[in-house]
Amino acid sequence: MKENTAAGLEMICIACPIACRLTVSQSGPDVTVTGNRCARGDAYGREEFHAPMRIVTAVIPTDSAQFPCAPVRTDKPVPRDKVRELLQKLYATRVALPVQSGDVVITDFDGARVIYTRTLPPDEVASIGEPGAESKGDDKVS
Amino acid sequence: MIHRNVDAVVIGGGSAGLAAALALRTAGTTVAIVEREPFLGGILLQCIHSGFGLHEFRQDLTGPEYAARFVGPVREAGIEVFLNTTVMEIGEEPTGRSVIALSQNQGVVRFATRAVVLAMGCRERNRGNVAIAGTRPAGVLTAGLAQRLVNIEGCIPGRRVVIVGSGDIGLIMARRLTLVGCDVLAVVEIQPYPSGSARNIVQCLNDYSIPLHLGHVVTRIEGRDRVEAVRIAPLSDGRADAGKERRIECDTVLLSVGLIPENELSRAAGVPIDEGSSGPHVDADLMTGAPGIFACGNVLHVHDLVDYVTEEARRCGERAAAWLSGARKDAMLPVVPGANVRYVVPNACAAGRKNVFYLRALVVKNDALLDVRVGGRQARSQKLSHVQPSEMIRFSLEPDAVPERPAGEEAVVEVSIR
Ligand SMILES: Cc1cc2nc3c(=O)[nH]c(=O)nc-3n(C[C@H](O)[C@H](O)[C@H](O)COP(=O)(O)OP(=O)(O)OC[C@H]3O[C@@H](n4cnc5c(N)ncnc54)[C@H](O)[C@@H]3O)c2cc1C
Ligand code: SF4
Repeated sequence: MKENTAAGLEMICIACPIACRLTVSQSGPDVTVTGNRCARGDAYGREEFHAPMRIVTAVIPTDSAQFPCAPVRTDKPVPRDKVRELLQKLYATRVALPVQSGDVVITDFDGARVIYTRTLPPDEVASIGEPGAESKGDDKVS
Repeated sequence: MIHRNVDAVVIGGGSAGLAAALALRTAGTTVAIVEREPFLGGILLQCIHSGFGLHEFRQDLTGPEYAARFVGPVREAGIEVFLNTTVMEIGEEPTGRSVIALSQNQGVVRFATRAVVLAMGCRERNRGNVAIAGTRPAGVLTAGLAQRLVNIEGCIPGRRVVIVGSGDIGLIMARRLTLVGCDVLAVVEIQPYPSGSARNIVQCLNDYSIPLHLGHVVTRIEGRDRVEAVRIAPLSDGRADAGKERRIECDTVLLSVGLIPENELSRAAGVPIDEGSSGPHVDADLMTGAPGIFACGNVLHVHDLVDYVTEEARRCGERAAAWLSGARKDAMLPVVPGANVRYVVPNACAAGRKNVFYLRALVVKNDALLDVRVGGRQARSQKLSHVQPSEMIRFSLEPDAVPERPAGEEAVVEVSIR
């Protein structure tokens, strides 16, 4: 475990709140993780070194004046390198309301789906602010 | 004017208000929720990132998804919801309480009720609270407001951004603004350690190579009409080191310098406020010093995990329902913060039942020990691998930890971190 830190990749383990400072280095086919206090840190360091993955969330513009943004997410992590590419796709999208939380926006991006995370009604039926209007299908999130 | 007669009025329809109202309704009480926004869910709806619900649902949800898990059941339970309606005043009546609210479309709404649940959340500290020198140009806003603009209104508040404070909201916004095309030039933190979570430091700053200046202060904001630059300097011996000052050109400054429970209404209603938490002083039933007024969520103390808000609010609703049904109060002992503890909520512990507490530490420490003493005798000791002020600590005491008839008048529960 006496790896040359100067050649290693420095990172912070986020598998628990202690946040150990890790150094991940490679010599030939061997990858070593140092600075971790436990085995989870070793696993985290390896994954971050080989293929860091992230859940992506964003909003896409809608045609509505009342709810101009529809929030979306990937249903599983995607490679960190591809986050920008995915965002370009999403920003080029424009959606007409209504949308339903869980409905699919993009069926396959690197194995992940992009789904809506909020149900939004079309503008017309949104009669807002009436006391007791809860049952009238107004603009409440659901 | 509209009149309503209900057993309980819940003020605020965020995660706290939703869970409290559901618990009250499940116990058979009639409930109304009053919410000033045109939607239920509160702050969750602008938190489009994931990371919610890991405790409550064992799933990684976004804010809107987490909110929906409660809004559906609230709808089905027949809880009356008043949207676009702001509570102006909580009054006292011979029969209980009155709640006066102003509805955007319907004018004044007046509730006659017996119990009130405060669930108004918190607000952000702004420039006035942190005193930064310089001019007063446009372009200085709180991180949470920026979050609302970007995620709900769909507008981007600037191009070149400096973030003051490394709280989680600021970190989340550093990433969010980067992803919508802004240049986030720096995050400036006065403390020598970040106040947000390590996870957010890694995934929001390091992933995008956004520099974090620890132990630095903003010495000046420049610009006539719009922000033109900020000057930052490292602290040495508690003072800004002018020799090492540097200027960062930018058009927007985001403040992420802490949250304060929103208690104007509570104060006006005569609810005593705890200095440590800045929220109401509450007993083991989460009832404030004003009989019949309960509190939960960020209005009680600022939470970092919504899951704990839900847990606390559900308990609040259950205890409020029990109080409404005339249940006798359990014997209670005062709970006080000891060494290295800023506050403990609730401020009392009930004898003979399980009690759950939340606390904030005053120190950053690895391998710490939580030490709970009842009347001087150790009732619980627990290892904590890591503590820091920005991470709330939760612990519980089993029913046998507090004796039914505690010896001595002055017996208190003291909670320390060693
Ligand atoms: C930016 C941000 C990011 C976060 N990220 C995470 C995360 O990643 N994971 C996590 O678990 N937690 C996170 N949290 C914490 C958690 O989501 C919140 O602490 C929690 O949702 C707060 O719930 P609340 O109901 O107490 O307050 P709020 O959601 O703020 O609800 C209060 C409601 O009361 C209403 N109100 C206030 N005054 C009145 C009045 N006079 N009359 C009528 N209505 C009124 C407000 O409009 C609001 O809707 C985050 C919080 C913030 C702010
Ligand atoms: S290495 Fe282990 S102890 Fe250290 S931060 Fe990671 S999970 Fe926590």
